Amino acid sequence: MARLKFLCDTERCIDCSGCVVACKEGNHVPVGVNRRRVITLDSGKPGEKSISVSCMHCADAPCIAVCPVDAIYQRDDGVVLVNKKTCIGCGYCFMACPFGAPQFPKGEVFGARGAMDKCTFCAGGPEETFSAEEKHLYGQNRIAEGKVPLCAGMCATKALLAGDADVVADVYRERVFQRGSGSNAWGWSKAYDKK
Amino acid sequence: MTNSLNDMRHAKSLIFIGSNAPEAHPISMQHILHAKEKNNAPIIVVDPRRTKLAAKATDFVRIRPGTDAAFMLGLINVITTNGWEDKEFIRTRVSGYEELLAVTKDYTPEAVEEITGISAEQTRHVAKVLAENRPTSLTWCMGGTQHSIGSSITRTFCLLQLVLGNMGKSGGGTNIFRGHDNVQGATDMCVLADNLPAYYGLAEGSWKHWCRVWDVDYEWIKSRFPKPELMQLPGFSLARWYEGVLGEEKLYQDTPLKAMIQWGCGANSNSQYNRVVQAYNKLELLVVVDPFPTMAAAACDTDNIYLLPSASQYETSGSVTSTSRQIQWRHKVVDPVHNSKDDYQIMELLVNKLGFADKFYKNIKQVPEDLTRELGRGALTIGYNGQTPERIKKHMENWHTFDIDSLQAIGGPCDGDYYGMPWPCWTDEHPGTPILYDISKPVAKGGLPFRNRFGNEKTYDSSGRTENQLAAKGVCNPGSEVEGGYSEFAEIVPGTNWKTDLSQKTLKVAIARGMAPFGNARARCVVWNFPDQVPIHREPLHSPRPDLIAKYPTYKDKQKHYRLDTRFESEQNPELVKEFPYVITTGRMVEHMGAGAETRSNQYLAELQPEMYAEINPRLGNNLGFRDGDMVWIESPEGSKIKVKAFFTERVDEKTIFLPYHFAGVLMGESLIDKYPEGHAPYVVGECGNVVTNYGYDIITQIQATKDGLCKVSKA
Repeated sequence: MARLKFLCDTERCIDCSGCVVACKEGNHVPVGVNRRRVITLDSGKPGEKSISVSCMHCADAPCIAVCPVDAIYQRDDGVVLVNKKTCIGCGYCFMACPFGAPQFPKGEVFGARGAMDKCTFCAGGPEETFSAEEKHLYGQNRIAEGKVPLCAGMCATKALLAGDADVVADVYRERVFQRGSGSNAWGWSKAYDKK
Repeated sequence: MTNSLNDMRHAKSLIFIGSNAPEAHPISMQHILHAKEKNNAPIIVVDPRRTKLAAKATDFVRIRPGTDAAFMLGLINVITTNGWEDKEFIRTRVSGYEELLAVTKDYTPEAVEEITGISAEQTRHVAKVLAENRPTSLTWCMGGTQHSIGSSITRTFCLLQLVLGNMGKSGGGTNIFRGHDNVQGATDMCVLADNLPAYYGLAEGSWKHWCRVWDVDYEWIKSRFPKPELMQLPGFSLARWYEGVLGEEKLYQDTPLKAMIQWGCGANSNSQYNRVVQAYNKLELLVVVDPFPTMAAAACDTDNIYLLPSASQYETSGSVTSTSRQIQWRHKVVDPVHNSKDDYQIMELLVNKLGFADKFYKNIKQVPEDLTRELGRGALTIGYNGQTPERIKKHMENWHTFDIDSLQAIGGPCDGDYYGMPWPCWTDEHPGTPILYDISKPVAKGGLPFRNRFGNEKTYDSSGRTENQLAAKGVCNPGSEVEGGYSEFAEIVPGTNWKTDLSQKTLKVAIARGMAPFGNARARCVVWNFPDQVPIHREPLHSPRPDLIAKYPTYKDKQKHYRLDTRFESEQNPELVKEFPYVITTGRMVEHMGAGAETRSNQYLAELQPEMYAEINPRLGNNLGFRDGDMVWIESPEGSKIKVKAFFTERVDEKTIFLPYHFAGVLMGESLIDKYPEGHAPYVVGECGNVVTNYGYDIITQIQATKDGLCKVSKA
């Protein structure tokens, strides 16, 4: 069975936030909840880089390990999902996640946070596939329709890749190979550029 | 664009000047990055700001706003001094080259450093990179045009490409990205003060041509004008229409403007926007046709305004023209919702009410297909003839058969056509012209020479030299009956030429003879109908360099410029910089669009960019004694001011302040959010950056100079 993965190619990400808006608009995610966001490092300085980040659907997902009510589970294709009806909003998953992926709909510093929300890889949730309830709680189920997630589908420069890990890796490997030719090769500019 | 977005994939180097594609044209980036990754193409970004495009560049060149022409002339100086110019291209297809060299010899890298702030070393480096990596694709946008010498600046871009021999070649060209999905279409329709559709101008013959196309009596149209001469006098331009309302300046018509229709136009993209607001309140009638109430709805204190809700692009259909000159069909997804109507319906109701629908709908039975057909009948200058609604739809249905690199259909029902039939597409059988001025292909297969538009011979004022303006012997498209340059086609059908022969026989005869209907000439370095026949640097009207004003002064004041006078010399005050020491420039952010009425009404885009700000270098901010996030006043020499949040960033240098121009709903410190129609206020309001953009207009096009004004800044 295929293993689904995300990959954001920072050489191509242009910080347009098209992925963010596609995700929110297509899944009716409330304002304040960010299943995906674009992070820019060294903004306005030499070496500026942007990367689009969401739940990475980890192989050994720490959120699953720490959830006290077993609300988070992993499908055979690697997609990590949360059952919002089980989630108690404790926030342990947020502490455990290395990517800051889990989101909570209520903004108070203390008190109830509401059920956790995060990227579903556009694979819906535990409710019946294509049911109104699945759509209401989790958004679209594009994986069941045979489509890539909205974010990757939207990406203008194809920086954000999503899908079968083998295919994603092949696409990326080919890019790195192309870039590696000539002066893009690692160390070449330092070694051979005439100052 | 002379080439297409897709063709940029073939560039061996790319230079962007006054263009920030990741924010303004994100989709184009896939092709730009393709060239970078696949061809190892260096990307050179010339901009006052270290933009998001600069983050993808191999070389970032920080330039002082408004000095683009000097940098280009400097590059030409280095290229020609080193013998890197394309000598054969210049010999056979360019005119006025010696006169160009007489100008560029003074723009040494050292002189350019003094004007632009770009080191002589970097100018030499960029010239070398371009010379060694041909063809180069050159892109500019509003950063190149919105200056008092904008028309000269854009000409220097073209001259650089001529000198390098990059025109008419795949991977080369001058590729000006258009700002909206159908702006090229709107331009081709000449929604302008000085042109009839398809760049026909306002001459009597032009009116008569379109009257024949519309089947309208010329004498009747003439009778609609209070004076016949007004028919051929350019109207008020988009940049300065409000002066026609305010009537404070001398007008070249009998009465001020009394009524205004703003159709899909958020006017806070106008410079000196507070004066626009004054004009709103003086108008007897203001009609805003838009899916969203624009700032006009809130800015009017009088009840002179009508809002007509128009349908969005998803609620209507018709042909649209992309930045690559490709024509596509937009299909309706849903009928107009609520009580909105599509633009065709609104126009038809208006024309009916005004009582001349019988005159203008003679050829229009099926909307919008017949509109495209009528256009194809009349727009001969730019070859809108072969793109029938049937062919456009066929292309879209068979989109998968077109090659992403060449844009040509490989087999299938559109075999051999270029996607969207990029204009000119001369006949029903013509495949479209993917690259302008490309003499490697026959004209019938999408090739073209340079156009013969300005006579066959010219004696230059500067040198006294006489030169043949037609292409050299032996230089022509394959299969051309005349082996070399030739004049434009006329008198094939007596009394007409290729632009006015509605039978289109002239076009067909020319192509059958392997020739271009518009002739085969040289590209001009000397434009004898412009004030600067060879472009030179002139300091911005409001320059931060009094010493350079003396050396590179602006033009004399211009009388009867459209329907107003425009100040140049009398506006260029060397003392101004003492009180207004910082350069102000504007631009786009990716999240918002144009005047922002639509995007600021979208909750997710509003969430991403919820606030107006001014980019200020941390060193400047610290020296002035305010902190990142403080509210500051920015004041223009015209006396207008805005209160905005200071955003410290090294994107800008210590002398430059950058404003995004998409915000509206706050005017000079006062929020107007309560004045929007109930329930229609956008999620995000903010000060209009254009309240503080300065006076200044291009001497030819009258485009506003929003990129190189002066301002002062103080803590609020």
